[in-house]
Amino acid sequence: MKATVHELGLAGAALSLLVAAAVLPLDAPPLSWMACPLKAATGLPCLFCGCTHAFHHAVRGEMAAAFGASPLGALLAIGSALLVIWTALRLLGMPAPRLPQVAAPRRLRLLVALGLAANWAWLAARP
Amino acid sequence: MLARCPNCRETFSTDRTGLQDCPHCRKPLVVPGAAPEAPPQQPSFVPPQAGGPEPGGGGTPWERRDRLGAFEAWKQTVWQALFEPGKLFESARLDRGPAQLGFAVLTGGVFSIIGQLLERALFAGQREQVMKMIESVQREGAKVPPFIQKMLTQSAESSWAQTILIALLAPAFVFILVYLNAAVTHGFALLLGQARRGFPATFAAATYSLAPLVLLVIPGCGSLAALIWIIVLTGVGLKITHGIGSGGAAAVALAPYLILCCGGCAVAIAAGAAFSRMGGG
Repeated sequence: MKATVHELGLAGAALSLLVAAAVLPLDAPPLSWMACPLKAATGLPCLFCGCTHAFHHAVRGEMAAAFGASPLGALLAIGSALLVIWTALRLLGMPAPRLPQVAAPRRLRLLVALGLAANWAWLAARP
Repeated sequence: MLARCPNCRETFSTDRTGLQDCPHCRKPLVVPGAAPEAPPQQPSFVPPQAGGPEPGGGGTPWERRDRLGAFEAWKQTVWQALFEPGKLFESARLDRGPAQLGFAVLTGGVFSIIGQLLERALFAGQREQVMKMIESVQREGAKVPPFIQKMLTQSAESSWAQTILIALLAPAFVFILVYLNAAVTHGFALLLGQARRGFPATFAAATYSLAPLVLLVIPGCGSLAALIWIIVLTGVGLKITHGIGSGGAAAVALAPYLILCCGGCAVAIAAGAAFSRMGGG
């Protein structure tokens, strides 16, 4: 079973994020230079604040710290890892189902929007 | 009966009519009932009605480059993307992802290289000027964010060898950014209920909308003009490839840039800095 070009491309992008998170230290450039413009201007975090830290901890298996930094970032890191593993299985010819066609009924979209809002509230409320 | 999928063009056998998924690409399609005058075994299809006309006529010039020649096809595709985007996106075929990826990596890679080399050659003096301005601002007591200062210092100190190394890695970064951009855009399309034709439709819009990167050859303002044009083209592309309304397309195209603003800044800083470090290695 072969992976399609899009499956390979998405897995490649996900792998690059994971490798960057594994290789680049948080306390040295370039990651230490990063600052959220929204937070700098308003004091409020943006929706994706903490994702860099979440990826950093997630690739090291520190899942509690990853979820503490950003639940959304931790879930994205897990999703990225699963996508890479799934694509590798397909490339190796092992039985792996095709990616399901993502349907987004209104209820699911509402749930995701609420999840994003909860993630933002968590980021805003934490000390 | 036999039916042919309008998305992947594969023919398949089915024993029922009506709405169903293509067994090859899994896109929804409608197999009509056999009309009395029509031959019963004739391959036929009707694209889904939702979302307006299906894009994907004969393909864009780039998707027909075997007939047109690579350079002519690329030139026509860029021209259409910049000045006749509706025509381009209407002709884009959703089963030509590899060709679309090739167009994006070629255009983005080559013009990023040219842009970086031009910037290095033309603006080295200006960087020093900016550093002097920052120093004078700091002497007067104002604060300059340390990361901006470090970036400018690093940039001013970079050598030609570093610049060339960075430039040569551009196609790889364009490849990664194309997929990240398409994935994020498609995520917002799903969230806003605008993803009617799957990831390949978003991908076609995201790749051809990178054509304005040719403006990187214009020193100074080229990158800003390209960014604005890319966002507009992405909206136009999504409208046509997904068959959605203008408002929905605009929301999907703009949402990632608005919500991921700081994420985008972070990626840009990280990429630039990583390049510089590698070059300084």
